[in-house]
Amino acid sequence: MSEGRPRKSPTDLPESKAPTRPGGIGARVPKVDAAGKADGSGLYADDLSFPRMLYAKILRSPHAHARVLKVDVAKALNHPGVIDALVGAELPERYGVIPWTQDENALAVDTVRFIGDAVACVAALDERTADEALRLIEVQYEPLPALLSVDESREHPEIKIHERNKSGNISKHVELEFGPVDAEMASSAAISDAIYHYAGSTHAPIEPHCAVARVDGDGNLTVWSSTQIPHYVHRELSRVLGLPPARIRVIQPLLGGAFGGKSDPFALEFCVAKLALKTGRPVKILYTREEVFYSHRGRHPMRMHVRVGLDKEGLIRAVDNKIDIDGGAYSSFGLVTAYYAGQLLTGPYRFGTYRFDSTRWFTNKPPCGPKRGHGSVQPRFAFECALDEAAEKLGIDPVEVRRRNFIGEEVLTINGQRIGSNGFLKCLELVEEASDWRARHGKLPAGRGLGVAGSMYISGTAYPIYPNEMPQSGVLVKLDRSGRVAVYSGASDIGQGVNTLLAQICAEELGCDPRDVTVVAADTDLTPVDLGAYSSRVTFMCGLAAKEACEALGKKLREAAASKLAVLPGDVRAELGTLSSSSEPHKNISFAEACRLAEAAAGVPLAATGGYRTKKLGGDYRGGTIGASPAYSFTAHVAEVEVDEETGIWKVTKIWAAHDCGRALNPTLVEGQIEGSVYMGAAEAQMEDMVYDRRGLLYGPSLLDYPIPTSLDTPLIDALMVESNEPGGPYGAKEAGEGPLHAAIPAIANAIHDACGIRLRELPFTPARVLAALQARDQRNQIAAVSPQRTA
Amino acid sequence: MQKVAITLVVNGEQAQVSVAPQATLLEALRYGLALTGSKQGCDKGDCGACTVLAQAEGSDERQPILACITLAQDAQGLRLTTIEGLSGPAGLDAVQRAFAECGALQCGFCQPGMMLSARALLDETPKPTLPQIQLALSGNLCRCTGYTKIYEAVQVAAGMREPSSRLPVPSERAPAEQADQQQKVREIAP
Amino acid sequence: MLTLPGLSIHRPTSVDEAVAALAAHPDARVLAGGTDLVPNLKYGMYETQHLVALRGLSRELRYVREEAGELRIGALTTIDFLARDPLIVEKLPALAEACGQIAGPQLRRMGTLGGNLCLDTRCVYINQTHFWRSALGFCLKKDGTACHVVAGGKRCVAAASNDSAPVLLALNASVKLVSPRGERVIPLEKLYLADGVRNIALEPGELLVEARVPAVAAQLKQAFHKLRTRAAVDFPALNLAVSFKLDEQGRASALRLAVSALAARPLLVRGLDELSGRPADESLGQELGRRAQAQARPLTNIAVDPDYRRQVLPVLVRRTFLRALRR
Repeated sequence: MSEGRPRKSPTDLPESKAPTRPGGIGARVPKVDAAGKADGSGLYADDLSFPRMLYAKILRSPHAHARVLKVDVAKALNHPGVIDALVGAELPERYGVIPWTQDENALAVDTVRFIGDAVACVAALDERTADEALRLIEVQYEPLPALLSVDESREHPEIKIHERNKSGNISKHVELEFGPVDAEMASSAAISDAIYHYAGSTHAPIEPHCAVARVDGDGNLTVWSSTQIPHYVHRELSRVLGLPPARIRVIQPLLGGAFGGKSDPFALEFCVAKLALKTGRPVKILYTREEVFYSHRGRHPMRMHVRVGLDKEGLIRAVDNKIDIDGGAYSSFGLVTAYYAGQLLTGPYRFGTYRFDSTRWFTNKPPCGPKRGHGSVQPRFAFECALDEAAEKLGIDPVEVRRRNFIGEEVLTINGQRIGSNGFLKCLELVEEASDWRARHGKLPAGRGLGVAGSMYISGTAYPIYPNEMPQSGVLVKLDRSGRVAVYSGASDIGQGVNTLLAQICAEELGCDPRDVTVVAADTDLTPVDLGAYSSRVTFMCGLAAKEACEALGKKLREAAASKLAVLPGDVRAELGTLSSSSEPHKNISFAEACRLAEAAAGVPLAATGGYRTKKLGGDYRGGTIGASPAYSFTAHVAEVEVDEETGIWKVTKIWAAHDCGRALNPTLVEGQIEGSVYMGAAEAQMEDMVYDRRGLLYGPSLLDYPIPTSLDTPLIDALMVESNEPGGPYGAKEAGEGPLHAAIPAIANAIHDACGIRLRELPFTPARVLAALQARDQRNQIAAVSPQRTA
Repeated sequence: MQKVAITLVVNGEQAQVSVAPQATLLEALRYGLALTGSKQGCDKGDCGACTVLAQAEGSDERQPILACITLAQDAQGLRLTTIEGLSGPAGLDAVQRAFAECGALQCGFCQPGMMLSARALLDETPKPTLPQIQLALSGNLCRCTGYTKIYEAVQVAAGMREPSSRLPVPSERAPAEQADQQQKVREIAP
Repeated sequence: MLTLPGLSIHRPTSVDEAVAALAAHPDARVLAGGTDLVPNLKYGMYETQHLVALRGLSRELRYVREEAGELRIGALTTIDFLARDPLIVEKLPALAEACGQIAGPQLRRMGTLGGNLCLDTRCVYINQTHFWRSALGFCLKKDGTACHVVAGGKRCVAAASNDSAPVLLALNASVKLVSPRGERVIPLEKLYLADGVRNIALEPGELLVEARVPAVAAQLKQAFHKLRTRAAVDFPALNLAVSFKLDEQGRASALRLAVSALAARPLLVRGLDELSGRPADESLGQELGRRAQAQARPLTNIAVDPDYRRQVLPVLVRRTFLRALRR
């Protein structure tokens, strides 16, 4: 792999490349699973059904914090149609996605920690019977005081949400300082200093979680689950059930959306597995929408005290962020969250000095976790608003201040992360032009405004979740004499389209027709391990693994074809099912024939494997590897808003989003990721908020009461792709699925400021908050009008 | 459990289903008739994933309705179209084809309902404007796409634009391959 | 899946059969479009064993006709039809506006005017699953004794959330009710009671079969406005409708202003007679807004901040009035 190369200037990027061959890299190929999704034949977890299948339901805690004194399922078991029941004592082993912070039980063993925590489970002939039986379970609780905010958790270390936790209710504390922040801040020409509040939001995939388990006659367990981490579910099932992993198979069927909400092991997977083992019958659990809300793992609420100091040229001298993170009742990915909240802020701008002090607290609410843009969306919002505010004091244009602070390519960030390609300036230029920024920013009629923001995100992490020396992602490619290509990949296609990319990589490297590729994915019996669809790692890592496997096979095919056509292997061009001589195109053979010739030559079936091996990356300090990624993506957004100053009702009419994805392996899919990210970011700015009452009860756990935007609420989105050609990425590619979310929120906030001069620091920007800010602005203006010394 | 026998007309076929008296149409479709293309996202009428088309007696319009809050018994007498019935012997419906070719299907879970809403729109308004599309789809929540490529797909299905992605040509297998197969047959034949 | 409780479903084919079934089962609920009833049943909000499904009455009760100086709308006329029917759009534009903003396209096709007029009251503490309400400790409206909106409150303040009601109140509509004992026609404002547990004055066995709007309503200036968090599939955080007569001198009379999504009963703003004869202008719009704000008391029964709703009410009233004026 080539190392970095010099460029004349960072905006001097290669033009978007045409696909190298039909159906190959860069081609706008329809998704391989699109037809099956279009005609309704594609099977999602809840579409699976087996003879004698039981339906199970989970009883949940009505208390935010309580000791469970007794769980009696006797009456439920006597209810006609009930086959079996399950209590926490039967699954005492704790689990959790991060090996060091395993603090969850499938069903409460002695304590419940939020309203909705799982307590017991019943399997019956149908869901109605199971529902009826749940009401017959007798549970004795001893209610404990509930801690419902970061402040309560801090003030009451004596009330421990996790008794085994060493430091009160602190889930994770990270404090890192790079350079003399205080001194640099003190000498800054302009400082922005404010507290920001980011509201909790949830993924709300349209498919609720579902799992089905079946035990075969030999005692082997198969679990089909709507998960984005089949490998970790496999490991945790083995541990919790006490079964050898070789006797457990986890399969991810088609997945109806995830966004990070299906990247933990969940109670339902353990319950169906245990009940299938107990009853010998297949068992299904489909969460109700309400249960999906309680399972949560959504965006952490954060309170951030951000200070940004600029010198008189607008260069960033110091950034300081004190972050309190409301983690909810369990750890989930929380250890990583506490790091990501600080570690991922250090691009696309050069920081003179930087400090963050980030604490994740346990509270008695549904656990937060990784939602698209894990950990870094909140600080990005605060920082990009603060940067705007500080630049305004210096009279520097928001686009210009971002341009001046560009960190560059092939550089180390202040916290030791290595940035390779960096197309941020190009992104900025594209959105500046597309939005006609220069002519319109600050010049639109009252109530209308433009705002800009930038961001950076990882393409996978350098560190696997559990320490091991094995590849993070593996792919096996097998060629059949028919010309059919089978790709075995552990990666989870959660809608982002990795299965399609695999077919395209085959078309690129082997010269087959992408339609002649079967992708067998996310089945732990059949496919090599991939760690899962999180941290935007799949395209990058699985893509490199697939490329490696295909390259080996492609070489064999070309050699076999060359021998048959009597040309040199280097002369063979493989494209869309035909291998031909580049110099004498009439000399050609079919892909299938090449397969047969190559197999005959090899004397063994044709197959090859490829893997992505983790490189050592990151700063040389504790936590320096967390947030270290083999490649970083960059994004710039401009948002346009209209604010009704009399009511505070506002609308984001358009967002231009330019994203540096390195190389668009399938531009249609990349655009789709950008558009979906922008939508989801805008939604968090507009309306989404996980609100709890004084008991810790989540208000309105439904898709009616928790509003997610309809087509009428979503801005028009202009997705622009920038290809910076990442040296380490597959064909130059980097991530595209999470990065483009970040900038939407601060771009909207900054646009609202441009429209009416208010700085919104609390999400979501409800009309009530906007109106209050407008009234405060008017009051300030009145005071300013009567006290001339304050108007400089 | 006590069950009742009901008759539904689904995708042009009459089907007898035995369901609990309080069963919803969605249950009857998914569990009774194994038509699992109609999805359950919220089960209370908020998300639109279970949208099916219903034609009442004496009406010539197929209207999108929500199967999760329609009682199966009460759906008798309606002519229903589910996503499985949208395609025919000629293959995918134009809407389905366009959704596949425009990248409008990401996770795909909301899309059966979305495509049926789109079909109903195009039945009534063959060349819809963007606001008409936005309004017609406003009862189908999508969490993946930001709706952008869905609008595109509806316009493609309406013949108003070309899809962004296409299968590469040639769509048939290479002639060399066919010749090769014939050769093989001759070799094996006595 | 949210499972439904055991139910017997009666499927009458005439109004007579329907009201007989209702009379025979006093706890029965009427199933029209089912868009509100079925979710509520899934949430365990009703104990009923019986549903009287009205689909068999579609032909009988689905109509819009002009008769005896009135526009008469059959109770099973769908919301979608009313939103788009050229006659309604022309004669009762505010009703078309309101219907076009109810829920989403599918729900508008399923939902009926009768169903919307009889919509059960809603509250953040009641339209939730049985589990959720058990964690709350239940409430006045069902299974409990405490009100979580008004501390110590003894009367349920769940909010009337139907968008058609304020319009039809503003247009001075009446409704026809049929029971085995006969029929009666009452002004719409008499249909609504101030009790969120039961805010509809239907007697046992009684069915709302028709809404009647005086034909003169077509001459009125009228408009509707709905405040909501999202632009579709959302109940009102506040809704209002205004109607008035405009004479050739530009003076307003017969002013009616209804505001809802407050508590159990839509508010028909009082004391507007004294404004009769004033020029229909911005200042009259402001005056209407002031009066509405003085009389309306938004509560926390709806998720959108009540102080905010109270603050913007006069603005929305003024704008709606002006929009009606320009129509």
